[in-house]
Amino acid sequence: MRILLIEDDAVLGAAVRDQIADDGQSVDWVQRLDAANDAMAGVSYDLVLLDLMLPDGRGITFLKALRLRGDVTPVIILTALDQVSDRIEGLNAGADDYLVKPFDLAELSARIGSVARRYTGNPNPIVTHGPLDIDLAARSIHHTGKPIALTAREWALLEAFLGRPGQLMSKAQLEDKLYAFGAEIESNTIEVHVSRLRKKLGAGIIETERGLGYRLGAP
Amino acid sequence: MRLPRSLQGRLGLTLGVAITVLWVVTASFTAVTVRHEMDEVFDSALQETAQRLLPLAVVEIIGRDNDGVTQRLGAIRDHVEFFTYVVRDAQGRILLRSHSADPAIFPAYDGAGFRQTTTHRLYNDDALQSSIRISVAEPLDHRAEVAREIQIGLGLPLLIVIPIALMAIFLAVQASLGSIRRFRDRLESRSARDLTPIAADDLPSEIAPIATTLNGFLDRLKGAFDAERSFAANAAHELRTPLAGAISQAQRLQSESEDPRTLARAVEIETTLKRLTRLSERLMQLARAEGGRLRLEKAEDLCGVARIVVDDIARGWDPGRVVLKVPQGPVMSDLDRDAFGILCRNLVENALRHGDPSHPIDVELTEGGAFTVSNNGPVVAPEVLKKLTQRFERANAGSDGSGLGLAIVAAIAQRIGSPLALKSPRANSATGFEVTLQLPVETP
Repeated sequence: MRILLIEDDAVLGAAVRDQIADDGQSVDWVQRLDAANDAMAGVSYDLVLLDLMLPDGRGITFLKALRLRGDVTPVIILTALDQVSDRIEGLNAGADDYLVKPFDLAELSARIGSVARRYTGNPNPIVTHGPLDIDLAARSIHHTGKPIALTAREWALLEAFLGRPGQLMSKAQLEDKLYAFGAEIESNTIEVHVSRLRKKLGAGIIETERGLGYRLGAP
Repeated sequence: MRLPRSLQGRLGLTLGVAITVLWVVTASFTAVTVRHEMDEVFDSALQETAQRLLPLAVVEIIGRDNDGVTQRLGAIRDHVEFFTYVVRDAQGRILLRSHSADPAIFPAYDGAGFRQTTTHRLYNDDALQSSIRISVAEPLDHRAEVAREIQIGLGLPLLIVIPIALMAIFLAVQASLGSIRRFRDRLESRSARDLTPIAADDLPSEIAPIATTLNGFLDRLKGAFDAERSFAANAAHELRTPLAGAISQAQRLQSESEDPRTLARAVEIETTLKRLTRLSERLMQLARAEGGRLRLEKAEDLCGVARIVVDDIARGWDPGRVVLKVPQGPVMSDLDRDAFGILCRNLVENALRHGDPSHPIDVELTEGGAFTVSNNGPVVAPEVLKKLTQRFERANAGSDGSGLGLAIVAAIAQRIGSPLALKSPRANSATGFEVTLQLPVETP
């Protein structure tokens, strides 16, 4: 998943960025609304984490403008405004979730997962795919009852495939989902991750369309 | 005697008494003066009559043949004699008298001039070396009657005019105080949370400065409330963001570090920071509960607020841990929804902290605005129950609460004028704890 983090506080922003990156998602972090607008114009994000009080404006205004444009990118508000009326205003403006600072990073990860799942049309975190039993919330995967350990990147890759079952995804699309803007990526990184994932999950799980990309195989 | 408290009563009474006294004094003075003038006129008439009669009597008596015979003059036409007279000689023999003159009323002659008996006013005069003496008498009754008529003439209108004057004073005072009364009514009828200025255009100039001062005061109060609100919001932001940063960094440290000692330290830092967060949050809520505006001009539905708060808290717990019961329709209240949110959150968190984990927390809002949060758990002793709403008072010393939760709820309850009822055991049960308070609701 590719996530845009809009947060002006350097300490909190860094911690959130590292947490999301650790989960295997790619994250772009901006500290101002104008930078956020630029980023959204260039990249299609799967989720936005939005602070409400930013140096160049209110997050609510940004969110309302976003929804007015017809943009349905999921938005989770991260804010220090804890009053019920702030929460109602945020949700009315079109936010998908509302997290009051300070929050647990694990809670943030869980909320990101839950909102993302809601958008793929399957809010249930338990997914069965052939011999695989996958719990996206707990990040556990079993192959015919036996647990398999995946790295964060491998998880992110698997989630990307599960999010669009049967759909072809190019190498560039996958890179977008796994790495932040400007990150140094080796040209064969995606191939390496896909091959490791295949090795752990079984050969038929991910199919290759030579020269075009990859897709989740039929269960 | 104490004056009445009402300005209208005071003005009416003092003006009424003053005017009555003034008029009575004036009337009395007039009556006395008139009486005096009247006496002078009557005396002068008496004297004039005597002096006119005397030469006639002298001529008549000297021209007589027989001495010492009383002649009584007959009446030419029948009439009432106010003035009667006798003419006497030096021996006191009556030589002449008017037709209805009664000799008994005339005292013995003792020289010229005015005399007065108990019944009559007299004037004596004489001629021919005091050998012929005239006394003219006028009954005092007559004068008294005239004086009485004058007094009645003066007094009667007074009896009619004074009540009319008092009525006029009353009406005038009432009309002049009308604007003040309207001002008072406007002030009285406004709700406690209405801080808009009061219209005072029609107030008299003596009172107008009070209204201006009051409006200025209301304006400052509104400003202070607004400032307090935005301060609380800003302070929350200014405090929460760095705390959130520090907590997140401590959590990152835990996930990145392998060293058990560093790990333990990071956990400690996180715990302390979270306690600090909770405490600052509660202090802010307490300030908000005690100082902020609790009632709004517009009523809003509280069910939605209860749902949001309960959903938010319950998220971190097993499903069914917190059970919310709200009526079908909305519960409209002018209670600030943030204040209700604070109240609701504190009560539910308290119940979660102290309640029996194997039983659900019941949160109920009724149509009538009764809000109840109850949980199963050990019975709280009555003496502890009494102290629970005090600040920094915890039900058990080992609890990790801030000790402010119930104090915040109690502060809000007190300011909305609703008693906070703590009950243990809970209703219809042998155990548990229950908090109920009545929220101000609008009946549809």
